[in-house]
Amino acid sequence: MASFLAGRMAQSLVLLVLVSIIGFAVLHLAPGGPMAQFALVPGMSQAQLAAMSHAMGLDQPLPVQYWQWFGRLLAGDWGRSYRDSVPVLAVIAARLPATLELMVAAVALAVVTGVAVGILGAVRRHSVFDALSTAGAMAALSIPTFWFGLVTIYVFSVKLGWLPSGNRSTPGDASPWGYVHHLIAPACVLALVEVAVWSRYMRSAMLDVIDQDFVRTARAKGLTERRVILHHVVRNALLPMITLAGLELPTLLGGALVTETVFTWPGMGRLFLDSLGYRDYPVVMGILMVSALLVLLGSLLADLLGAVADPRIRLG
Amino acid sequence: MSQDHDVSHAAGPNRRRILQFGAAAGAFAVAGPVVGWMPAAGAATPPVKPKGQAVIGLSQEPTVFQPLKLHIEVDEAVYMNLFGTLWRSNPDGSFAPDLAAEIPTVENGGVSADGLHWRVKLRPDVKWHDGTPFTAEDVKYNLALLVDPKFLSGRRAGHDLVRDVTVVSPTEIAWRMERPYAPYPAILSWTWLGPKHILEKEADVNKPAFAQNPVGTGPFRWSERVPGDHVTLKAYEGYHGPGPFLETLVIKYVPDLTVLYTQFQTGDIDYIGLQGITPDHYDEAKTLKDRTVMPVPKATTENLALNTALPVFKDRAVREALYMAVDKASIIEQLYYGLPTPTESYLPMQSWAYNPDLPKQSYDPDGAKALLDAAGWKPGPDGVRVKDGVRLEFTNSTTAGNHLREQAQQLLQQNWGDIGARMTISNLPPAVMWGDYWMLSKFESAMVGLDFMVGPDPDATDYFSSQAIAAKGGGGQNTTQFVSPEADALLKEGASTVDRAERKAAYLKLQALVRRELPYLPLFQYAMVQGVKTGLEGYTPNINTQENCWNANQWRWA
Amino acid sequence: MTDTPLAPARRFAAFLPGPRRAAMRRPRSRAVSRFLRHRLAVAGFAVILLMVLACALGPLLIPYDQLHIDLRARFAGPFAGPHVFGTDQLGRDLLVRLLMAGRISLTIGFAAMALSTLAGTTVGLVAGYRGGIVGAALMRLVDAVLCFPSVFLLLALAAFISPNVVTITLIIAATGWMEVARVVEGQIRALKTRDFALAAELMGASARYVMVNELLRNAVGPIIVAATLTVARAILAEAYVSFLGYGIQAPVASWGNMLNNAQQYLGSAPWLAIFPGLMITLAVGGFNFVGDGLRDALDARVEL
Repeated sequence: MASFLAGRMAQSLVLLVLVSIIGFAVLHLAPGGPMAQFALVPGMSQAQLAAMSHAMGLDQPLPVQYWQWFGRLLAGDWGRSYRDSVPVLAVIAARLPATLELMVAAVALAVVTGVAVGILGAVRRHSVFDALSTAGAMAALSIPTFWFGLVTIYVFSVKLGWLPSGNRSTPGDASPWGYVHHLIAPACVLALVEVAVWSRYMRSAMLDVIDQDFVRTARAKGLTERRVILHHVVRNALLPMITLAGLELPTLLGGALVTETVFTWPGMGRLFLDSLGYRDYPVVMGILMVSALLVLLGSLLADLLGAVADPRIRLG
Repeated sequence: MSQDHDVSHAAGPNRRRILQFGAAAGAFAVAGPVVGWMPAAGAATPPVKPKGQAVIGLSQEPTVFQPLKLHIEVDEAVYMNLFGTLWRSNPDGSFAPDLAAEIPTVENGGVSADGLHWRVKLRPDVKWHDGTPFTAEDVKYNLALLVDPKFLSGRRAGHDLVRDVTVVSPTEIAWRMERPYAPYPAILSWTWLGPKHILEKEADVNKPAFAQNPVGTGPFRWSERVPGDHVTLKAYEGYHGPGPFLETLVIKYVPDLTVLYTQFQTGDIDYIGLQGITPDHYDEAKTLKDRTVMPVPKATTENLALNTALPVFKDRAVREALYMAVDKASIIEQLYYGLPTPTESYLPMQSWAYNPDLPKQSYDPDGAKALLDAAGWKPGPDGVRVKDGVRLEFTNSTTAGNHLREQAQQLLQQNWGDIGARMTISNLPPAVMWGDYWMLSKFESAMVGLDFMVGPDPDATDYFSSQAIAAKGGGGQNTTQFVSPEADALLKEGASTVDRAERKAAYLKLQALVRRELPYLPLFQYAMVQGVKTGLEGYTPNINTQENCWNANQWRWA
Repeated sequence: MTDTPLAPARRFAAFLPGPRRAAMRRPRSRAVSRFLRHRLAVAGFAVILLMVLACALGPLLIPYDQLHIDLRARFAGPFAGPHVFGTDQLGRDLLVRLLMAGRISLTIGFAAMALSTLAGTTVGLVAGYRGGIVGAALMRLVDAVLCFPSVFLLLALAAFISPNVVTITLIIAATGWMEVARVVEGQIRALKTRDFALAAELMGASARYVMVNELLRNAVGPIIVAATLTVARAILAEAYVSFLGYGIQAPVASWGNMLNNAQQYLGSAPWLAIFPGLMITLAVGGFNFVGDGLRDALDARVEL
């Protein structure tokens, strides 16, 4: 176990360095730069922009810039945003709660709905419900998230006026209901894909368990079918599902990015797109590293939990 | 990225609006130099204690809170309320003292007759938000920091001519100009000052801790910032001017113009600034209850920039023919819902130097064809005209994602296709478009909204001087690579005298020259549809500022 | 256990049939289930076929030019008047633009699939067969690229190019080959220890021969499945990049850039957003259903 962990850690570190090199190179080699946003400020001159670039060290060779950035990172300095001079980690920390709020709400919704649909689908295999949920899940995976968001806004905000069309809260309104009200639409949109995934995984996990010996033993003992399903099948089927939470993290992060764009949600995804647009290199690199770290942690956690849940899996 | 041009939802001043505008300017003229600006005429007695909250909705996010640093226009919406300048620009182009006690002129001895020696008296009663008195030492520190080579300064031009800054007394400062520079008072009206006693202690002037908790002399003081969402300012009761009457000013960032409009509709936002309401929502917005919606002119003009160094655009006949083939009326009437005002000049028509007598463009495809025929551009086998092996073919670029511009581009493509010119649309993300691609003239033609002036001053040296071509090592923004000795002479003439009549004569000639040579094909002067919730009094648009919340110290709820 | 973050494509594993023992015990249910899957796959295939035909032939039958601007006819509503699906913000016929956009979007989908399948298969084949340091290095590269949010790669790469069908295809392919590589690598690693591969090697066949003729041929099923799902992914990617304004440039229509332009008219002209979105959903759904059906069918064949 310990050697497995050490190996995985080492591998993850190598991956992170690789990610940082690729990210840094792609970002800095791409045309355009952080000075472009100032070009059309009245009275701006190329001479002044060039002086700024020089002062920010952007005219140095790329490997030198990378090495400096990496060196500072090792010393715990993630740099500061070009836009508001705030330390990168503080910038990210300021936006993370909004994204987490959205993700937690969506996952909670997806797990509850997905697991319920999966259980029903497995218990009533080949029923109309099962067929519809299968087709529905496939369809959900085919709808572009950003378009689904637009349609949601059109129906529930523009036409019906039930939900706000964006943002996390109304200025001046600090009531909990205000926050929940704003959260409903984006959380549902983000949850759609996850519901599909969770319901399918739950269904097949159920089917894995439903015909095993201990279940038949339970039935033979004369327990009611309801009790068998809830206490024996569902409980055992849920164990492997824990790993799914870790593995779905990258999808969830990507989905959050799209959802935040459509709903003008002030989270990490929007920060990422804004920063990429402004070529705020330190912040973009910061977000890339944090999300890569989360993705790697997610898969590590999935493996560990999977092993804990199922003693047959041996790590090493 | 910084300006209206990106989300160009323009609107033009209609007659009624212009009249209102004139009335507001009149009010300022009456106010005189002592108070500087006054509540809109006939207002009720202002409340003694600040109360209430106004939410300003903007489609860009203010992020730079050290006002001397490099910043974009949206940041100034915060500066106007948090910081002070020596004097401000009124809507009519005159100046009103803010931190200065009076506007220095030749008459009052503030400026020497040759324009070289300046002496500015300061108000004695101004205190920074932390209680420290504001003095001439602050001004001196700011002027030095602006030209400090290590500092990421927002503007050096103009300030780099200042020499021998002397603190005469805590309330008086003097300096010498290297040479006379007429736009300098205008530049100072856009130079917000920061506190010396805090800024000089910064470990790194470019990454100031100050920006997390800025201290100014403006009518509001810093309260909090939620990144990506809003900035909250609170009334500063020790303010030296009139007001503030509002207790809280929230500057809210909503990145999507449609959402921004929706929030204005629902009442979450009290005032929409910057790009304002998109033209396609204008008709609907006018019918909203308890909202005042109006097009407000901006100093920015929409242009088609032609890179005149390219063989295809070298020929003046081509530039003229392309201009004749532009269906300007359809662009303005249909795509922009009739809101912007067609223009032939690069200057806004509110400027004192504006030339109203330039020849009017009219949509004339046949005339354009005849002109090209006469100039020797003959249609090739594929319909595209050719002369001496040069095909009349080019790309047109602008910020990707600017819907109205993209629609106008497609119409232009059809217009120009009709006369045998092939234009291909090649739009780029803002960080690419306005980087070297624009600044170093790597584009072929571009659609761009530009404010050619220096603050409220009509000097356009940066855009038309042959010394300002960055692609040829110059320092300015003459990206069309326009070279004209005549223009150079006129620009020099206009900037080196302080006599307004002489300057105006030079600029009138320059506008005629630019209209004839057409490095830019002028389309229209922008105006933005801005909206205010009824009951929010004191809102006065000001074309000489970057944002119309310039006088929020005057705002109050009825 | 895999030791790497899983590809999003992995989620389709959930659509695999249940455990085989259950199926053996209930042959009838399995048949029903397979029939059902089959039916959805057939439906998906029919949708794709119909779309391809409509996009190829439709524009020839409609009396409007997709590029002709007519400002007097802006924002005509659907199902009323001469324009069946209405007109867009420049008065162009929406139906003909949808179909022409389909040509672009589907072309990009197929071309990007071909490229990324080729690249992914090559990398996976080499990594799986060679193993060792080469294999590990290649697969770590795959892992590293998979750590990026795909939007980042798409947008960052989009800055390098002037967008057109070819460059957008290349970008989408460049961000979509990793999942194929992973599938192929896994297959090849498993297959190369099997008797037929070992036998070929013993008989002195060249590495190239073994890789292509023995291993690849036997891994064709999973590759086809992955490729089908890659088409769906590529169509979505094109739509997203164009939606953000960095994809196919006006006046050429793609489903994504039609949506981009439609966003601001959501209140006044919702059909501009609804139709392109439906087309994307139908196309992507079609490929997903077919991919699912193929997996079912091809997996079984491999087992037999």
